[in-house]
Amino acid sequence: MTELQAEQAAVVPRIESQSQRSRYIDVLIALAAFAVLAILPMLTGSKALLDFVIRCSAFGLFATSLNLLVGFTGLVSFGHGMFFGLGAYGFGLIMQRTGLPVPVAFVATLVITTLIAAVIGAICVRLKEIYFAFVTLAFQMLIHSTILSWVSLTGGDQGLRGGIPRPAFFGIDLSNHVHLYITSCALLVIGLLLMRQIAQSPFGYTLRMIRDNATRASFIGIDVWRAKLTIFVLAALFASTGGIIMALFVSGAYPEFAYWTISGEGIFINMLGGVTTFLGPMVGTVLLLILNDTVTRLTEYYGIVLGIVILFFAIGLRKGLMDFVVEWYARRRDGSGK
Amino acid sequence: MTRTRKPGVSRRATLAMMGAGAVTFATPWMARAQAKTIKVGMPTILSGRVAQLGTSSRNAVMLEIEKVNAAGGLAGRQIEMVIRDSKGQPQEAARVARELVNTDGCEILIDAEASSGAFAVHEVARDLGVLCIHTNSETSALTADPKQHIPNAFRTARQGVHDSIVGGSYAAAIAKAKGLKKWATCSPDYAYGRDTTGEYVTYLKRFAPDVEIISESWPKLFQPDYTEVVTKILQAKPQALYSCLWGGDLTSYIDQANIYALFSQMEVFAVNMADYTALTVVKNLPKGIHSGNRYIKTYPATPENAAWGDAYKAKYNEYPTNWSWENATAIMLLAEASKKANSADGKKIAEALRGLKIKSPFGADGTVTMRAEDQTLVGYAIGWGTTIPQEPYVPQVQAGDWKTIFELEAEWKKSKGYT
Repeated sequence: MTELQAEQAAVVPRIESQSQRSRYIDVLIALAAFAVLAILPMLTGSKALLDFVIRCSAFGLFATSLNLLVGFTGLVSFGHGMFFGLGAYGFGLIMQRTGLPVPVAFVATLVITTLIAAVIGAICVRLKEIYFAFVTLAFQMLIHSTILSWVSLTGGDQGLRGGIPRPAFFGIDLSNHVHLYITSCALLVIGLLLMRQIAQSPFGYTLRMIRDNATRASFIGIDVWRAKLTIFVLAALFASTGGIIMALFVSGAYPEFAYWTISGEGIFINMLGGVTTFLGPMVGTVLLLILNDTVTRLTEYYGIVLGIVILFFAIGLRKGLMDFVVEWYARRRDGSGK
Repeated sequence: MTRTRKPGVSRRATLAMMGAGAVTFATPWMARAQAKTIKVGMPTILSGRVAQLGTSSRNAVMLEIEKVNAAGGLAGRQIEMVIRDSKGQPQEAARVARELVNTDGCEILIDAEASSGAFAVHEVARDLGVLCIHTNSETSALTADPKQHIPNAFRTARQGVHDSIVGGSYAAAIAKAKGLKKWATCSPDYAYGRDTTGEYVTYLKRFAPDVEIISESWPKLFQPDYTEVVTKILQAKPQALYSCLWGGDLTSYIDQANIYALFSQMEVFAVNMADYTALTVVKNLPKGIHSGNRYIKTYPATPENAAWGDAYKAKYNEYPTNWSWENATAIMLLAEASKKANSADGKKIAEALRGLKIKSPFGADGTVTMRAEDQTLVGYAIGWGTTIPQEPYVPQVQAGDWKTIFELEAEWKKSKGYT
């Protein structure tokens, strides 16, 4: 054993115990966040606040999963919304047509998403940058057009009508507003925790390496294609979960869920919140939804306000809010340390 | 390197921004309903491609609300409208509708959404049990399909199947008189376009069995260029053309088809032509296009209808749209039902609405009825006529026969398995 190797051998357990510790901290934070969210209905009678959190869960899972691709792997997908729509339609259709229990339908939807994402991903992740972006967009439009034209199955542009039945399971009744709220929060927290584990795992670091220099990664023996495909499918699963929450919230599924504007909203959320921190997209989601809800109640010129905000972030800050806050905090700390 | 001022935002400014954020965040939830007035929520489309229609819905509602409030409101309570933009997105329509009821304390919903948005709001009404009047969705299934039926939801819009029956019988009469056998269709490629065209052709063939469709075109919704569609139709050489293009699509189509003199080569039936949004925008409106009435102040040719159209024009400096009369009708019915029930309570109004017949400027015989069995509007003015290039645009409208409509509608419902 050379000196270098011996040194490395000593470093490895230390890093491992460190990552173990940070994992426990993540779990603790997640539990605390869930606890706070779960007692919220007891503190306030506001149904609108609960609605807000349910929508945050749907879009938060969607946007954070998009960040796994954009921020961590450097795959700028313009078609991520197709999996959001797929989740909503898959779940809605299974519940309407088969009457299976909710958890079974949930898992079945994820299985369907996995299969479709694997096929689409296998074609897309071979491509780079703008080509990848456009092919994902093309697949999104394909799925959207399919939903529109397959009227007998999907109801065409009227969407899935007649509500989504939701029989109670394990004492959870999703037609009860508070139950739906708690379930959405649980899905959000579990989803974020899992994505955090992916991001912090060796696999997550492999993704960062691919983002920074894919050629180098392949030279040291990483199967870049397989890694990209894996994260593409994983991200699709979380986006699909977001779609399921949305389908439960509106009690239906509509072609707009699979339209490119949803993907655009995801990209915008990421720009707003920042792509370099894990929680950036979540912050972006909350920001966008607050903006949306307050601006639409004040004016119908929603687009102008939103455009100005985008300009402010893109030209003014030149980064998302969380990126900005993290850098600002680091600068302050360094400044006071001197 | 030294700097006198640190880059970025100061702590004080950050705190101020956070405070402001918290306030804007919290105000919606602090707002509560006032007991004296009754709030009526209205999600509609105020931005995007069909914003003009959403705005015309809002205008018509406000016009009627003023009258109702001046006459004492709903059972003594003044109406306060809360109107929000859904941007035409169903999930936003659902959110806005929920928010209007849960946060703003609206006790009644006027759902001025089109297409999928209306179904999303319908689910909110099902969930919250609030009285809801759909004013714009013409999709027949919304009220015809018993699976959709809920006691607290009504519709004051026309219905696709009614239009097809009247349009089909009108076209068949002309086809027989003029010997039009070879037909072409050209309609937007989405559910409304395909369904409406399909039903129209069904009824056309039913009344005129020797009609044959020799060419079909399905341009995309909001397609800017119709050259290939126009040339395809010209090459097929049909004797008549049916189209359910609407709004900007219809006006672009006519402007482009005019270049090829299409309108002098065949009879054209465009169901959505006789609406001011299309009539006033087309550059050279050809003479003799057959159209169904959407809203036109000269049909029904009554002083009440003309007065209503003029009052609207005087107030908003433009003519009402198809969505305008449908929304105005909702408020008229609401006021009348509230008077009958002597209450502003949603359940009691719903009870009074079922089967309610009111005087209306938009009625075929001066009245419209909220049919009790499927809670949708019947008896409204429905007919076809031909265009001229200047006002009144469609001088003579041939009225549809409601007796025939009811018979064929019942038959259609049976064929769909709805009854």
